Amino acid sequence: MTRALLSVLMVAGALTIAWTGVSAQRGGPPGPPLTARQAAPIDLTGSWVAVVTEDWRWRMVTPPKGDVSSIPVNGEGRKAAMAWDAAADASSGNECRAFGVGGIMRQPGRLRISWQDPSTLKLEFDAGTQTRILTFDRAVQPGGEKTWQGFSRAEWEGPGIGRGPEAPPGPGAGPAGPPVPGGGGQGLRGGPPPRGAAALRLGGSLKVVTTNFKGGYLRKNGVPYSEQATITEYFHRLPTHPNGDDWLNVVTVVEDPRYLAQPFYTSTNFRREADAAKFAPSPCKTEPPLPVKTAK
Amino acid sequence: MRLATSARAAIVSACLVMAAVPAAAQVNFSGEWSGRYHEDQPDRVPGEEPGDFSGIPLNDAARMFGDSYDVGRHSVLEEQCAPYTLPYMFFGPNQFRIWQQVNPDTQELVAIEMHLGTYQQHRTIWLDGRPHPPEYAPHTFMGFSTGEWNGDMLTITTTHIKQGYFRRSGVPASDRTTVVEHWMRHGNLLSQVTIATDPVYLTEPYIRSQEFVLMDRGNTNWLYNCEYAMEVPRDKNLVPHYLPGKNPWSGEFEAKHAMPREGVRGGAESLLPEWKPGAPAARPNPVKNGGFPASVLPEKLPAGDVRAVKVQGNVYLIVGAGANIAAQVGDDGVLVVDTGAAGQSDKVLAAIKGIANGKEIRWIVNTTPTADHIGNNEQVSKAGRTVNGNQAAIVAHENANERMIQRNVPDAQRPYNTYFEGSRDFPFNGEPIILYHDESSVNDADTVVFFRRSDVVAAGDIFRTDSFPVIDVTQGGTVQGEIDALNRLLDLTVPSKMLQEAGTYVIPGHGRISDEHEVVWYRDMLVIIRDRIKDMVARKMTLDQIKAAKPALDYEGRYGADTGPWTTAMFVEAIYKDLTKSK
Repeated sequence: MTRALLSVLMVAGALTIAWTGVSAQRGGPPGPPLTARQAAPIDLTGSWVAVVTEDWRWRMVTPPKGDVSSIPVNGEGRKAAMAWDAAADASSGNECRAFGVGGIMRQPGRLRISWQDPSTLKLEFDAGTQTRILTFDRAVQPGGEKTWQGFSRAEWEGPGIGRGPEAPPGPGAGPAGPPVPGGGGQGLRGGPPPRGAAALRLGGSLKVVTTNFKGGYLRKNGVPYSEQATITEYFHRLPTHPNGDDWLNVVTVVEDPRYLAQPFYTSTNFRREADAAKFAPSPCKTEPPLPVKTAK
Repeated sequence: MRLATSARAAIVSACLVMAAVPAAAQVNFSGEWSGRYHEDQPDRVPGEEPGDFSGIPLNDAARMFGDSYDVGRHSVLEEQCAPYTLPYMFFGPNQFRIWQQVNPDTQELVAIEMHLGTYQQHRTIWLDGRPHPPEYAPHTFMGFSTGEWNGDMLTITTTHIKQGYFRRSGVPASDRTTVVEHWMRHGNLLSQVTIATDPVYLTEPYIRSQEFVLMDRGNTNWLYNCEYAMEVPRDKNLVPHYLPGKNPWSGEFEAKHAMPREGVRGGAESLLPEWKPGAPAARPNPVKNGGFPASVLPEKLPAGDVRAVKVQGNVYLIVGAGANIAAQVGDDGVLVVDTGAAGQSDKVLAAIKGIANGKEIRWIVNTTPTADHIGNNEQVSKAGRTVNGNQAAIVAHENANERMIQRNVPDAQRPYNTYFEGSRDFPFNGEPIILYHDESSVNDADTVVFFRRSDVVAAGDIFRTDSFPVIDVTQGGTVQGEIDALNRLLDLTVPSKMLQEAGTYVIPGHGRISDEHEVVWYRDMLVIIRDRIKDMVARKMTLDQIKAAKPALDYEGRYGADTGPWTTAMFVEAIYKDLTKSK
């Protein structure tokens, strides 16, 4: 009986230590710290195309001046939107105002995501030929001149950190790709939550907070955001759809004390493409709105 | 022995240690949430404008439906309180409460429950691994949902959704829609992605997303006070809609908002960055709409299976033997409505025996004289017995008997008891059984059986969910008669609440268990197609020209067929012949 109890305690202790090791990979020592790339719980890299099923009338065409529908602008924001002058933007070298960090996700276009180095993700947009740098290294600080894309601080969220596509071999390391296919009955049903085993991929998301940017447009027709704004994004890699489509969902929250009366929420969906063959960089250019006609 | 004991104890302890790991990956979505409508706000809150199909990967059938759509359709009595269906529910103004259902003994999460303030809908998302219901099960506005965890994301698959709209401007969503949702939570922010697959009206999955914020103080109004009422006299034959090319609002939306006409018409091709007006239309691609494993789809009845399933009260549906069979069971015995296609008698009788509690078959009612409904009359009758000791009586309208004689149906298969009046009633198993006959519907011989206490109607082929109505103009069927018969069905059906769901259940001649909502959509469809063909006839179009104009295009993907015993062309021709015959 005593030996049995001893065995119980030994095995329990060993497993506790083993589990602590797994947990530690998510939170710190022991072991060398994981790079952001190694810690990535989800794989965002690849070529993505915006599928414009929402806000079509404001994203695919340039809406008329003053059309601020859906956006919680305050009085100053409305006034600024009414003062939009595309020609003045062009002549002053500000054509990229609609392609800054507050508007670039909503531009119809393609997106290439890659690791610039183990702690930096690079997002390239063909619309406006823009590049965003997402920095995981907390030692890097914003500084210098404000830019259209600003300074983006990134961090992984969720329980899958350190078990994702590029985690080093070891307990809890998961294979590449998104979490298990979703909507196909292959996820986890009920019962206790996912835990422990290497067979489980635990998902996660990327949180990005951007500051230090130049003011720009939330919408092609000059609905503004200011330099005082803070932009928070959540990148989600959705489980593979049953038809084989892979989706990237990006939730964007813009908080702007100058032009917005409340936080502005949007979410944008990108479908994975096999390659970057259709990635076609184009300059910052906003087509003029079509004329408003009287209904027949 | 001791070692073995130690090993067992060690394994048990290992399991205990592993089981004690915190629920790190399982997110709790409980709380009261309110939508933030910062995308498509004019659509989602005040309501869409007619003719706006932008951003939807819809097909030509959906465009035709939308072009015909008159918002006045919501003044039809049975549609006044019809809720949004799941594919749209989160894209209209909405607040909802979420809570968890756990097993009290194990504390395992069994389901996530939702109460949605809009239209007072309740939804259960099952997480216990149960399969989706069979394909003959009723559909609801919220459908049947199962969930699975993909890390910290909840993925939900929903089937069994009623017909409704992807957009309130009349872009239709069929009852074959499957919705996959992904829920993600970041603090007080809940993000929801909806991906709808509809092989009837979409060429590819339709993805949308919406944000909800946790309410600090909660909502104050969770009830939805809708009361349908006839406020002005309305002919039941009037279903508001616009004839092809005659929608007065066509063109207004793009003109008002400075949009290209081609973009406003939607389509998968218009959703991509490279789209330009004039881009070729996307072709239907079944692969885009496929891939769902059987585990999340409606269970299909295995070929050859005949199965009895309870509808409600004392009434059962027996499926798999050709046309649907209804059976009412009680202390007096069994009343069977129709007997299925020939050659299935053993299976039909076995299914009846399984629900009969040892009671005998006393009555058989035939709703229609066609072979797939009466094929086992003789065997089922002989297997039963009236209280006088004779074989079970077969009842039908006298026209049905006459039609059977014309088709040389053997005496033993024909009804012994016929009635000639518009309705007949009798008590059985303690409930009133009412037979209704319309002089003309899909033919001139049909009977509808109303189980008044069980609140179930066996409609025969007057209503079916698998095809256009088979209006046999050579057997006395007429379009107006069929519309009248459907209107009578609507008179008999009453939803359980004012919200157009459940209440009276309808067993169709073929297809799944339905309620008033399905019947009203079927009636509306027939009225609309009839009106179109009537207009074309008035414009002196020939039958070939009418067929070429595809007057039923918006319903073909759901009810039509190019081959088989009842094609879309035959349906159109039947209406044409009926409308052009000498009065």
